[in-house]
Amino acid sequence: MDDQLEKLKQQYKQIPIPDELDFIVNQALKKSYRRKMRSRWISAASAAVLLFLIGINVSTSVANAFSAIPGVGPLIKVLTIREYIVNDDSHNANIKVPGITNLKDKALELGLNEKYLEEAKALYDQFQEESSKAALGVDAGYTVMTDTDDIFAIARYVVETTGSSSENMKYDTIDKKNQILLTLPLLFKDDQYIEVISNNIKEQMKERVKADPDKTYWIENEEGDSSIEVFQSIRANQNFYINADNQLVISFDKYEVAPGYMGVQEFVIPAKVLSDILISHNYVN
Amino acid sequence: MRNIDEKSMVMQFISLNKDSIYRLAYSYVRNKDDALDVVQDAIYKAMKTKASLKDPSAVKSWFYRIVVHTSLDFLRKRKKVQPMEDEKLQTFMDGAEDVYSDIDIEKTLEELPEKYRSVIVLRFFEDLKIEEVADVLNENVNTIKTRLYQALHVLKGEMKDYISKEER
Repeated sequence: MDDQLEKLKQQYKQIPIPDELDFIVNQALKKSYRRKMRSRWISAASAAVLLFLIGINVSTSVANAFSAIPGVGPLIKVLTIREYIVNDDSHNANIKVPGITNLKDKALELGLNEKYLEEAKALYDQFQEESSKAALGVDAGYTVMTDTDDIFAIARYVVETTGSSSENMKYDTIDKKNQILLTLPLLFKDDQYIEVISNNIKEQMKERVKADPDKTYWIENEEGDSSIEVFQSIRANQNFYINADNQLVISFDKYEVAPGYMGVQEFVIPAKVLSDILISHNYVN
Repeated sequence: MRNIDEKSMVMQFISLNKDSIYRLAYSYVRNKDDALDVVQDAIYKAMKTKASLKDPSAVKSWFYRIVVHTSLDFLRKRKKVQPMEDEKLQTFMDGAEDVYSDIDIEKTLEELPEKYRSVIVLRFFEDLKIEEVADVLNENVNTIKTRLYQALHVLKGEMKDYISKEER
């Protein structure tokens, strides 16, 4: 018996180790580490950068698509103001930088646009640095999530592809009438919202898993096994936007609350859950 | 400071043991790409939740636990639902089905129900102590001992079967 086990063990030890393992492990370690650093990037943004400056993209289709919605609120336009493109055998980058125009509050407009440029530059720098070592793909761009009379919400996405891919989303939601950039704390009377929203999300996760057993979230399972860190709470400034139906949507990046195959996860928080703690019902109702 | 120590310790553990980590993942998901994905996911998970590592000396069982859970998530996703253990065991007892000329880990281990496979892999192939296995699988030590005994029994039945077939 021991011989047999020993034989099995030998075979187990001979499971071939693929060449990619090193790269994937290093990449995963590095990225996990960088995740924490992300907020500090901005200072490093001014390194010499090869720019593929397309200038203001006057592609009418893009401009029209985003500005065609008539309304009481001011017409906000989003244009692709820059594009970073790299294309060779093993490196691909396509980074589109959004630029917002027609905001009445020019300081807000400038602030946002500078932020978008810096994000893109930092991403491009990172790409340059890492692409010298390995094959890499980066695809970044933006989507207008909401454009109603009251609300304008824009999302920026970053998809990085190495062995597998990671996906990050960031959102800005603007109150068109008052020209304010909304934040999560700004919407609520006090920080109770963190708990209220988190609890609702946990319920929704359970429902989703029940409805579709293929789904997995990092929540406590039926056996009460919480040995792995489970989703406890949203962050005070968790990713969010307000959709066209005036609903609050909370978003999690890939890997944030679920295994990678689940991708980016969004949760619409029902207004009735929030009604007691909202400052005003103008945005969410 | 403790945080930084923990982080570098976890990172170091992962770097030094990546082959074992990969094999452990592979023993569950049984193909290269999925195993690599599991490794990657497990590292993200670990780096994000390293606060849950209460006892730094237990980094091995803590991280293996994450790998096992991540692998099981993958399998669940792949809908490779394991049949009920009783049925499965019954098939083993009857044992009259396929005959393999060689004791092949792919076959032998794959056909073991997951709870037995886990204890065999962790205890005998990864050389974890019984206590560590219990820790990884979140069971108590006695449960693991019983399971190990049963697993060996099943495996022995299997192997005898092969051997006697070969001898004929």
